[in-house]
Amino acid sequence: MIKTFTHEKLIRYLYNELPANEQQEIEQALLHDPKLASTCADLLLAQRCLNDLRTTPRKEVTDSILRYSRTFLVP
Amino acid sequence: METMQPSDSALISLYIAGKEEAFELLLERHKSRVFTTIMLIVRDEAVAEDLLQDTFIKAIHTMKGGRYNEEGKFSSWICRIAHNLAIDFFRREKRNPLLNLDTTSHAFNSLSLAEEGAEATITREETHARLRELIQDLPAAQKEVLIMRHYGEMSFQEIADATGVSINTALGRMRYALINLRKKMAAQPIFYDQNIYPRETDPVPIQRIAG
Repeated sequence: MIKTFTHEKLIRYLYNELPANEQQEIEQALLHDPKLASTCADLLLAQRCLNDLRTTPRKEVTDSILRYSRTFLVP
Repeated sequence: METMQPSDSALISLYIAGKEEAFELLLERHKSRVFTTIMLIVRDEAVAEDLLQDTFIKAIHTMKGGRYNEEGKFSSWICRIAHNLAIDFFRREKRNPLLNLDTTSHAFNSLSLAEEGAEATITREETHARLRELIQDLPAAQKEVLIMRHYGEMSFQEIADATGVSINTALGRMRYALINLRKKMAAQPIFYDQNIYPRETDPVPIQRIAG
């Protein structure tokens, strides 16, 4: 029997927040439930696109934070 | 062989004990997601840089002042500070974040023309700019959860606690945010190719040289 999963559980799976046993259950279901697999693939594609937006601050900015830390004295 | 990385808690203990190098590692580890979180809210590089400094200065004061609470993760704590400062900025300035439409800001452009073909770079930058607009267009509650979870790497429970909703509400908002983004992306040709043929690897970030 294919177990049904809530959408909330699928989101937790995508963000690695499920305990190992529930993760295995959902992976089994993905193999046998094309609708669930399709929903999951759609969400994964959106998630993957979001990864591309990560950005890094300029070195001057981080250097200035480090300088502040080195010179900061506890009052 | 991979070397073992000290945990955030270990680095914080070392930093409080006077080892500045530990703070350097903490900053290196978290700067990108904190900066991205702020940039997606304020959409202005200069403001984001100021707020990034304010965020870490607040953290320095708290840690060196002996007020750092060991409960919870450093990553969630620092992102919550960044998120609150970015939101406060708008409340204070009474500015509309959508007014700044400079989505080609160079803070988001980590690859130079020389690193990638010029055409590919332009396409990628257009895609990223459009994606940032789509994120801005999300309902505020969905955008908040998306930024906190995806870029701030806060857990759904931490987001629920920080925003005063149930975990299921936070999960539902994330789900709708991803579905909305996916629908909007599917409707736009600029996202077409990469959705059908997703890239196998993540882009390699190149450290920009300050200009």
